Amino acid sequence: MAATPMDTTTTIDAQRARMRLLQLVSPSLPVGAFAYSQGIEWAVEAGWISGAGDLEDWLQGLLESSIGQWEVPMLARMYNACERGDGSALVKLSQRLLASRESRELRQEEIQRGRALATLLADLGVERAQQWRDILSSSQMAGFALATSRWRIPLAEAAEGYVWAWLENLVLAAVKIIPLGQTAGQRVLLHLSEGIPEAVCTALALADDDIGASSPALAIASSLHETQYTRLFRS
Amino acid sequence: MTSPPGSRGSLCLDAVGLGSNNESGWLAKLQLGFVRSGGRTVLAERRREGPLAVQRPFYPEGDVCHVYLLHPPGGVVGGDRLNVEVSAGEGASALMTTPGATKFYRSAANPSYQTQDLSVADKASLEWFPQESILFPGALTHLRTRVNLAASARFAGWEILCLGRPVVGEIFSEGYLDQRFSLHRDGQPLALERLHICGAKHLSRATQLRGYCVSATMLVTPVAPGLLNVARAAVPAQQDHLIGITLIDELLIARYLGNGTEQAKARLSAVWSALRPAVFGRTAGLPRIWAT
Repeated sequence: MAATPMDTTTTIDAQRARMRLLQLVSPSLPVGAFAYSQGIEWAVEAGWISGAGDLEDWLQGLLESSIGQWEVPMLARMYNACERGDGSALVKLSQRLLASRESRELRQEEIQRGRALATLLADLGVERAQQWRDILSSSQMAGFALATSRWRIPLAEAAEGYVWAWLENLVLAAVKIIPLGQTAGQRVLLHLSEGIPEAVCTALALADDDIGASSPALAIASSLHETQYTRLFRS
Repeated sequence: MTSPPGSRGSLCLDAVGLGSNNESGWLAKLQLGFVRSGGRTVLAERRREGPLAVQRPFYPEGDVCHVYLLHPPGGVVGGDRLNVEVSAGEGASALMTTPGATKFYRSAANPSYQTQDLSVADKASLEWFPQESILFPGALTHLRTRVNLAASARFAGWEILCLGRPVVGEIFSEGYLDQRFSLHRDGQPLALERLHICGAKHLSRATQLRGYCVSATMLVTPVAPGLLNVARAAVPAQQDHLIGITLIDELLIARYLGNGTEQAKARLSAVWSALRPAVFGRTAGLPRIWAT
């Protein structure tokens, strides 16, 4: 069956959107993601994470709790606010996201990466990035939500990309810190990313009253990282 | 202000094979209002319904009004709803604690709800140090605390959770906890916490409880940057538990993970004792009742 011109346009638009997503989740996106370990640097020093198995436990726990029950639902709400062009809703969501970041370093990470992404998106001419620069500068998630919304990346794909980028970044950090062989790191990625689509699907169905997940041990690790003697990472 | 039986709670109920939510048990409400009057703080408003009460206020340190909050006799069972509202009016200073732990018992079907709304007006201060909440195995518990601060309000408070009964070797192997704690200033959120623990599997999660059964968080604000080291110096690291302290703008958060409620109280009290003179302008006295 031959594709009609309309179908072809739709398909190409979808393919282009996918290209944009790949660009957005690439570790080469200049927002400095590689500089943050989100507590892993301290967890390794403390002996909590000493190999691939511990790393998987750590990341799997996060995937099931804070990522699945908070990050993805919040991303979805920010994405929807961007779709509606509702700046004041995006401000409120960004404030809630920051308030849920459990240590100074975790909040700083959200803000610093947000600032870098806000600048980049404005320079790339993403619609509203300039106008909403102050909002985006407080939260990298808000910038990601705006970019994926403007670039017509469907929400579920955007969320999968967001979680993938988070996972890859922390695995890369752990490979350096533990240290772990490159292949072992890739194996962790391969294994844990299998669960991402399902986690995203569950996360997107959560009601407002059901979202939220703290990580007390990670919060303590991150707090103690602030005074860790030798540090390569900013969180 | 109780949260409706959320789908998470329902998921957990399904998971442990329990039934629907029939309404039963106590509905207890307590509304307390502190105001500044004649050079000291008085408990001007006291409205109660059901088995929640306060003892007569007392003044062990001058103008600060100390009040013991009495929870229902014997503890909280499935179907109970406890609502506590505390407001400290402009310039008022209050310290609240409880004479003992609050016990949440195993429930066959009905969850129990505890909601606490604390509001602190300008130039007022509230110290909120209830003793621990003990969740018996099988308890179905929703805990929600919301603190609203005006621009120049001061607050120090904690929540101490004990999952299971470590003293008799019972872990929180079944039942669930849905805990929320939020702190807002001028309507803007400064800290949002939510811990959802459902059954034994969640107890060992590497990023959450790591197998510890006591999790405690203390929040203090406003705290000047120089006091972070003072707070940390008050609790040198020890082997059998974890303490982490961070300062986010003017909000200090101290967290404990371990296996002892007495230890949690001792460690967090040490942090508060170190901060209290600078933050609240008062000596580092702790409520006498904890010593009994």
